[in-house]
Amino acid sequence: MKPRRIASIALAAAFLLPTLSLLTGCTDGETIVLRVYNWEEYIDEGGKGTFIYDELHELDDEGEPVLENGKHVHIESDIVDDDYKAWYEETVGHALSEEGPRILDDFCEWYERTHGQKIRVEYSTFGTNEDMYNEIILGNEYDLLCPSDYMIMKLAAEGRLEKYDASFFDETDPENYYVRNVSPFIAEKFATNGGLKVRKDPDGEDIYWKDYAAGYMWGTTGFVYNPAPKDAAGNPIGIDVEGLLEELDWRVFTDGNFRNKITAKDNVRDTYFAALGVTYQDELNALDRSAEDYTEQLTAIFNATDAETVAEVEPVLMDMKKNVYSFETDTGKSDMVKGTVWLNYAWSGDAVYALDLAESGETEDGEEEETALLNYYVPEAGTNLFFDGWVMPKGVTERGTKEAAEAFVNFLSMPQNAMRNSYYIGYTSVISGEEQEMLDYADYLYGYYPEEEDEAEPVDYDLTYFFLGEGSEERISIPADPVQATCRQLYAQFPTPEVISRCAVMDYYDAEASLKINELWSHVKSESLDAWAIIVLAVTVAAILAFFLFAKFEEKIEIGGKPKKGYTRIKQEDPNRL
Amino acid sequence: MRLPRFSRKTLCIPYAVFLVFFVIIPMLVIVLFAFTDKEYHISFDNFIHFFSDPSKLSTIFYSIVIALITTVICLLIAYPIAYILARSTMKKKYIILMLFVLPMWINFVLRVNAIRELFNLLSALPGMEWIESANYFKTVFGMVYDFLPFMILPLYTTMLKIEKSLYEASADLGAGWSATFFRITLPLSVPGIMSGVTMVFLPSMTNYVVSDMLGNAKVTIIGKFISDYFGNDWHMGSMIALVLLIVVFLSTWLTGGFSSEENVRGTNL
Repeated sequence: MKPRRIASIALAAAFLLPTLSLLTGCTDGETIVLRVYNWEEYIDEGGKGTFIYDELHELDDEGEPVLENGKHVHIESDIVDDDYKAWYEETVGHALSEEGPRILDDFCEWYERTHGQKIRVEYSTFGTNEDMYNEIILGNEYDLLCPSDYMIMKLAAEGRLEKYDASFFDETDPENYYVRNVSPFIAEKFATNGGLKVRKDPDGEDIYWKDYAAGYMWGTTGFVYNPAPKDAAGNPIGIDVEGLLEELDWRVFTDGNFRNKITAKDNVRDTYFAALGVTYQDELNALDRSAEDYTEQLTAIFNATDAETVAEVEPVLMDMKKNVYSFETDTGKSDMVKGTVWLNYAWSGDAVYALDLAESGETEDGEEEETALLNYYVPEAGTNLFFDGWVMPKGVTERGTKEAAEAFVNFLSMPQNAMRNSYYIGYTSVISGEEQEMLDYADYLYGYYPEEEDEAEPVDYDLTYFFLGEGSEERISIPADPVQATCRQLYAQFPTPEVISRCAVMDYYDAEASLKINELWSHVKSESLDAWAIIVLAVTVAAILAFFLFAKFEEKIEIGGKPKKGYTRIKQEDPNRL
Repeated sequence: MRLPRFSRKTLCIPYAVFLVFFVIIPMLVIVLFAFTDKEYHISFDNFIHFFSDPSKLSTIFYSIVIALITTVICLLIAYPIAYILARSTMKKKYIILMLFVLPMWINFVLRVNAIRELFNLLSALPGMEWIESANYFKTVFGMVYDFLPFMILPLYTTMLKIEKSLYEASADLGAGWSATFFRITLPLSVPGIMSGVTMVFLPSMTNYVVSDMLGNAKVTIIGKFISDYFGNDWHMGSMIALVLLIVVFLSTWLTGGFSSEENVRGTNL
């Protein structure tokens, strides 16, 4: 081989080497690496939620925490001892910040202490279920994912998930925090797939969420609304938004009173769901709510994707498009707080966030501004119940990370950690607590104990279904402000049993349905084009093409035929050239 | 010991590797995806579907129309500015030029957000309520604002290169302003126009951040479709991307973007 060639190969190799070492440099002998793939802003990242448990449970006399893991619940208290700080610096690589520890660091410390092994969490985030799915099918390896209900079903049906170990569900083991602390209501939904028809995995076995997923957060969808909208000058408009919502329910989407004053989601799943609500409102209301199979019927209507349904929903979606102010992904909350729109179709966790913002009198950018107080409404005809859960992709057993993945889920399921996360992100945790610890949290946030006589009487807010299960004899409730109980944060974060009874979970679209729904969505999002417009378009394109082609080949087209034999035509100098 | 000597050929290898891995292979992957179905069997379904679905065609049509309007408005605004700046004898004219280009140095999403807020404020004024639902207007406004520097710069550099002596000659021969403009300035600035037009037209067909933020996602351009389809149907998404690629290729080729002479495209920034 010539020396020059060797040099070139060496050079090429030098360019490729760094990329190779990036691919292999992930593991070192002693430390387990756990790759967690979660939603953006969907875990306590330090600072906000850490003090909650501290406020709820006092420390004992020696300042020792009463908690299982809890050396460090509150940064300013003396719980963060020198040991912890030393461990933190050594493991994380820098000193503990004022913000307090992130829950991920706490997990590493806890795991090392209880399992005797060092662990490092590689944490990354995604924006949509579909983005996450794309990453998975591209072959990226993660140990723990946090998809939503329908995506869990899809991944399981495609055989991409590993089941949890039977030992994970052993309630007698005190280390199994998830199964001991999870709300019986969620456990029941997971065991029955919330009334969806049972699908089969590639091995022909029935899929139940409970085998593949451990819950994380849950909620409903509904409308954030402005009960007293004002015009630009600050004068009340005098429209009874609440009354109209109660009267029209889902149909606010197509009602002229809310033209340009309501937002829909810019994703086909949620907007199609809402359109089903608009289209079949009467059918939904006509269902017998006391019937045994009411949930099944409701779920079937909200998951219909047959050709007939799609054809009926399409014109409704077109009407919705005309009526809504925007299809939004993230602007709905700030548009609500600023008063640009009066109604925002939202997930309950986002609703809580918008309500909090409006209450604090700040806009999303932190500016102080006069803002309207906002409320939350759940459609009477029925709505969506959603949840996100932790699942393990195939391959965790081979990589030896299954135990750590399950431990991570268990760690997050300790009531104090569930509170931290829930407080940080605003969604409702699936954890109720073995001893109903989350009741303290609900009570801390929403408990109402009026001291003055002229204040409203508290109402008894029933949360039995969440803490004890739907059929329980015992009763659990908190005293609540009547307004909170009907349309504010409490109502959004812990829905009433009545709301829960009319909720349907979403199934995934199979290949055929997906094709239809995608097409429907592109019809809705695009403008319709009349036949004459297509003709005009074709003629214009042809004319432009012809013009440019002519201009391009003009020089080459010989005018006046071939030159005589023996003559050649000399190309004339371009007179324009300078 | 002698240092290894690199010939010009060896130095090209990294670039060749880059081109193969980041341009040629990805292109082939797009073509592969566009002409296969979910089981990776060769299939023309996506192709047929694209050209038989009115919503795809109408979106292409609207994208082209939006891009055309944006380009024309940009040209109408940028041409006089470039002309005045290039011909002015002002000493600090580069400062004015810089002021026009300055917004480019600020994050794009931030600027679009700012315009969104501006329109919100405007629509609150009496008599301006129409702005609230004028999604196409807002989209085009945002695009013009965003792409204007890409039009000004090539025009300015081209006009700067026009020899002063030509203007003198034209004045000597008794040509008036309009004759000078139409026989000297305009013809000689055509390369700048062409390069400005391509640099504005092509991105404004696909920049769906503007149509999402300012058009409230009620305006759909072809780039949005590609992004939507890549959520769950890569094959259709690739087909749309491929069609767009061909449209872009054709328009570049027809406007002479590939000829090496008089090409100022890209040399200005």
